[in-house]
Amino acid sequence: MYDLIIIGSGPAGYVAAIRAAQLGMKIAIIEKDRIGGMCLNWGCIPSKSILESVKLYNKIQKDALRYGVEGIDKSALSFNWDKAVLRADQNVKKLTQGIEFLLKKNGAEIINASAKIIDKNTVSVENRTINAKNIIIAIGSTSPMIESEIENLVIEPMDVFKPRILPDNIIIVGEGPVAIELTQAFSLMGKKVSMVLEKDNFMPLADTYLSNYMQAKLKKDRIKLFDNKGDVSIKDDYKDGVLRVGGEEIPCGLIINARHRKANSLSSDIEFELENDYIKVDENFETSVEGIYAIGDVNGKSHFAHIASAEGLFVVNRLNGVNEKIDLSKIPMNMYSQPEAAQIGQTESKLKEMGVDYKISEFPLSANGKAITENSGEGFIRILSENKYGEVLGVQIIANNATDMINEAAAYMQLESTVYDIAKTVHTHPTISEVFMEAGFEAVDHAIHK
Amino acid sequence: MRYIFKFPDIGEGLEEGVIVQWHVDKGQKIKMGESLVTMETDKVVTEIPSPRDGVIAARYGKEGEVVKVGSALVEIELEGSEVEINETQENKVEAVEEEGAGVVGTLEIASNDFVLSASKEGIGGEVQRNTKERKALATPVARAMAKDLGIDINMVRGTGPAQRVMKEDILNYSKEGSQKPAQAKSSNNDNILEERVEIEQMSQIRKTIAKNMIQSKHNAAHMSVFEEVEISELDRIRKKYKDYFKDENIRITYLSFIVKAVALALKKHKSLNAEMDIEKGIMMYKKYYNIGIAADTEKGLVVPVIRNADKLSIKEIALEIQILADKARDGKLSLDDMKDGTFTITSYGSIGGLFAVPVINYPQAGILGIGRISKQPIVKDDKLDIGLILPLSLSVDHRIADGGETSRFLNTVMSYLQEPVGLLID
Repeated sequence: MYDLIIIGSGPAGYVAAIRAAQLGMKIAIIEKDRIGGMCLNWGCIPSKSILESVKLYNKIQKDALRYGVEGIDKSALSFNWDKAVLRADQNVKKLTQGIEFLLKKNGAEIINASAKIIDKNTVSVENRTINAKNIIIAIGSTSPMIESEIENLVIEPMDVFKPRILPDNIIIVGEGPVAIELTQAFSLMGKKVSMVLEKDNFMPLADTYLSNYMQAKLKKDRIKLFDNKGDVSIKDDYKDGVLRVGGEEIPCGLIINARHRKANSLSSDIEFELENDYIKVDENFETSVEGIYAIGDVNGKSHFAHIASAEGLFVVNRLNGVNEKIDLSKIPMNMYSQPEAAQIGQTESKLKEMGVDYKISEFPLSANGKAITENSGEGFIRILSENKYGEVLGVQIIANNATDMINEAAAYMQLESTVYDIAKTVHTHPTISEVFMEAGFEAVDHAIHK
Repeated sequence: MRYIFKFPDIGEGLEEGVIVQWHVDKGQKIKMGESLVTMETDKVVTEIPSPRDGVIAARYGKEGEVVKVGSALVEIELEGSEVEINETQENKVEAVEEEGAGVVGTLEIASNDFVLSASKEGIGGEVQRNTKERKALATPVARAMAKDLGIDINMVRGTGPAQRVMKEDILNYSKEGSQKPAQAKSSNNDNILEERVEIEQMSQIRKTIAKNMIQSKHNAAHMSVFEEVEISELDRIRKKYKDYFKDENIRITYLSFIVKAVALALKKHKSLNAEMDIEKGIMMYKKYYNIGIAADTEKGLVVPVIRNADKLSIKEIALEIQILADKARDGKLSLDDMKDGTFTITSYGSIGGLFAVPVINYPQAGILGIGRISKQPIVKDDKLDIGLILPLSLSVDHRIADGGETSRFLNTVMSYLQEPVGLLID
């Protein structure tokens, strides 16, 4: 009898497993594919590795001479996808091995097999059953397949970062962070990329201000956006290297599936209540079956790895009597666009809807010294604060390293800080993070460098 | 450097006080010893002097608000030197963020046994004694909100990490707080009552009076004796010297003589100037004679004390009475003015009443009531004459003073009043 069985070893499952083992629980973690799940093996980690390669390539091509680097023959310069993928694989291997090591070191039992839930305490695995007081479902999500009978035309999410010959014309289908990241990455490689939206929301959950900014940025970089107003159908819309979207014909050598993700299907003898095809959970992430929890993408609360991990920690802590609150609105969201975008807290439209008396304090990166030295003056910070006490209610950043910078905002929000606290926090100079202080000054009185 | 001055325990075991009046504004310069604020506590209305020179950086609490002992009263931006910082180093509690826009300040806390003296003397050295008290862990927004809503953040239970007080905790606390009076009001009986009576919150002084009266009646075995004394001679002397000191603006009153007479009589009858500690099984005979004068003020009964009345001349006593009476009238008596009394005189006769049964100012042994002076027929040398009669009512704690000694004490007082020359001789 285990204390806890965790099904799935992505950022939700493996973090929960390590924590549970640390707390002395007897646990088993079941993984049918690779330890680390989507994020480590096919998502966050390989994509960021590739992105680094792409950015380096792009910088050498675009800026080398101007930066004072001579001797580069631009005509000989090319991007080798397979080598970039190899580097990404090495990074993935290093990290997933590290996680396997941590699981074992802490005493978690890893079972490499498919799992099926038999009853609220029983899981069937490898032709045997194992029992536990509690079960956590952390089986993640995937994008609904784009059906295609044409060989090598459509790439599903788990196959993106694999060696292949890339055609010149690439179409990304989908919305949100993954779709935008892939679109820009292939564009920076020199491909002609089009983004085809199936839903009308270009950046779901993001403040319109960020969303508009990114749309304008794509347009500026000559990346075409097409609105299909519905699912792309290869059978109906593709013919001889051309995809037809809303009357327009897009040259197309490759289609990458970055559709909005849906919960993976669970193998179970007992029924779980669902909500929009995700496993329904209460505020403690408990499913309709008592003692069984669902964390990460599978519960539909978010598709961010760090939120999945936070949910895992919350549930395990709670099973061990630690009752803390988890406020998803104080967890930041990040997007590895170029420049990066990040956001935390409420959006402006949400504040309006809530009837909050708020103010927005903005500071542009173009007035920041470090950003100028890095040739990255694109972007801004926006602080949304409530007028009475100055509480920071939301922060939005567009900057080359916005995904790192947003964590400062997360700390402010976790501590219920005010704009006075931000203004009072002296930042090192020169750094891009100084924009926090400037926007803080702006909120309290006036920015210095604006 | 910022110095956060917290409301010190200016009495014994004081818990809270009400801000009567601020004497400083934010940004105002202040010198050590100058008055910051007038506070009403359960014992006294007193002025709290500044412990430091500096500029008022922040002020906490509005007039009429209750401040707990240990809560910040003001922040003073010190015009301090390095030396000062070093001196107080040991006594500092961790620097804490005080308010959103504020600057990190240094917190110094008065310990419970610290009594702030009403005068300038000895303040500098004493303020910095402290106990280890920690400020409530709270988020900046929770702090701002608590201040705004007048909530003592130390009273709020935090639900955040490490019991940190969060915004939500303040909101919940303020909801709970505001619900209570609302419920009370909703009752029908209360509405009817409100029309027929006027309801007023008890002042701190009224609470103290009530507590002390019950304590006295409960603990002391009250016994009273009444007498009349003929004071024509005293009256003659008083009238004579009244004009004599007029230029010095000193009013020689009957009371000045009575105070002196009582002080001298106490010296001869030690059980009337005593205190009993049953738990320890001891009697304490005091060798100092501090006479309390019960004073009728707008706020209620207060008892300022004339110290060492046995050693003062009648003129000095008169002057002292005048000063204390002025302070009492203006509500400016300090705790120092009121403590350490050994015997009390209550002079109700100036308002009206011949005899009374005064309640002892516990734990003192006795209280002398002074009735209305009136001209009355007396028999002098077997002849009818007009006498000036002063009625006296003496209550004693019969546990401490026996009947015989009580009467002998009263006789002594009376003889001094009859023959005031004795006041000079003894």
